[in-house]
Amino acid sequence: MAEFELDCLGEACPVPLMKTEKKMAGLKSGDTLIVHIDHSCAMKNVPEWARKQGHNVEVEEVGDGEWDVIIEKC
Amino acid sequence: MSETGGRARPPRKPKRNQLPVGLIVFALMIAAGVLLSVYRSGALAMAWVFGGCFGFILQKSRFCFTASMRDPCITGSTSVTKAVLMAFAITTIGFTAIKYAAFASGQEIPGQSYVMPVSLATAAGGILFGIGMVIAGGCASGTLMRVGEGFGMQMLSLLFFVIGSLWGAKDMGWWNLNVIAGAPRVFLPDVFGWFGAVVIQLLIIACLYVAADLWERKKMGITE
Repeated sequence: MAEFELDCLGEACPVPLMKTEKKMAGLKSGDTLIVHIDHSCAMKNVPEWARKQGHNVEVEEVGDGEWDVIIEKC
Repeated sequence: MSETGGRARPPRKPKRNQLPVGLIVFALMIAAGVLLSVYRSGALAMAWVFGGCFGFILQKSRFCFTASMRDPCITGSTSVTKAVLMAFAITTIGFTAIKYAAFASGQEIPGQSYVMPVSLATAAGGILFGIGMVIAGGCASGTLMRVGEGFGMQMLSLLFFVIGSLWGAKDMGWWNLNVIAGAPRVFLPDVFGWFGAVVIQLLIIACLYVAADLWERKKMGITE
């Protein structure tokens, strides 16, 4: 049940998604990953990818144009 | 869900309400449109309105031409690809209606100067543009939209997009004369007739749509 963070602030698509993909591969089931993003397009495709993989996903807008994507590995 | 949802998050600084700023910008945009139509031309004002609407839709829908070509390769997701194909299908019908209406009433068909010669240069240009847009994180419309959102890195993209476009415009004459102009221009209704052209184009789009759907199922292994 470990919690990991991934800082993708300032990175454009598709970098956040690819980093998330790599990071998720190393996580164990039940672990959570919090991805910090500020690229609106990543706010769409990171949760979409994670949901299609079957993970639990929550998106939180933590500031203007800044989001945390919280992914719980299934 | 319960584990992530119930987790204590550090308190954030309260978000500023952006609504007043939005309303001011909206009012300024309308004023600019009115000024354009009074002092310049109605056509320019219409372009201003369409530009604003297009940007708004692009931003709200997160429509991204780059993602439509890139995501199938990276993640296998083709949802944006399918959205773009649907948009192509709709515009196919719309443009045919406009062009056919002009043709049927004997007027000059609008937009025929955009029927460009097709050659290997088209493919080469497409590949170069594709590489550029994936690195820059957006095509022309996508980059503009994200500059509007205040994404710093893509302001840099926009700067070099402008520089590249200027350079391209400067040398376009030479390329046109020596490489492009000799190639054939294909206007589908000339080849297949108006009805045939629409049907064939829609069929191709439909095939691409099915292919995109199958691709996603194969790559991501999902059953919605």
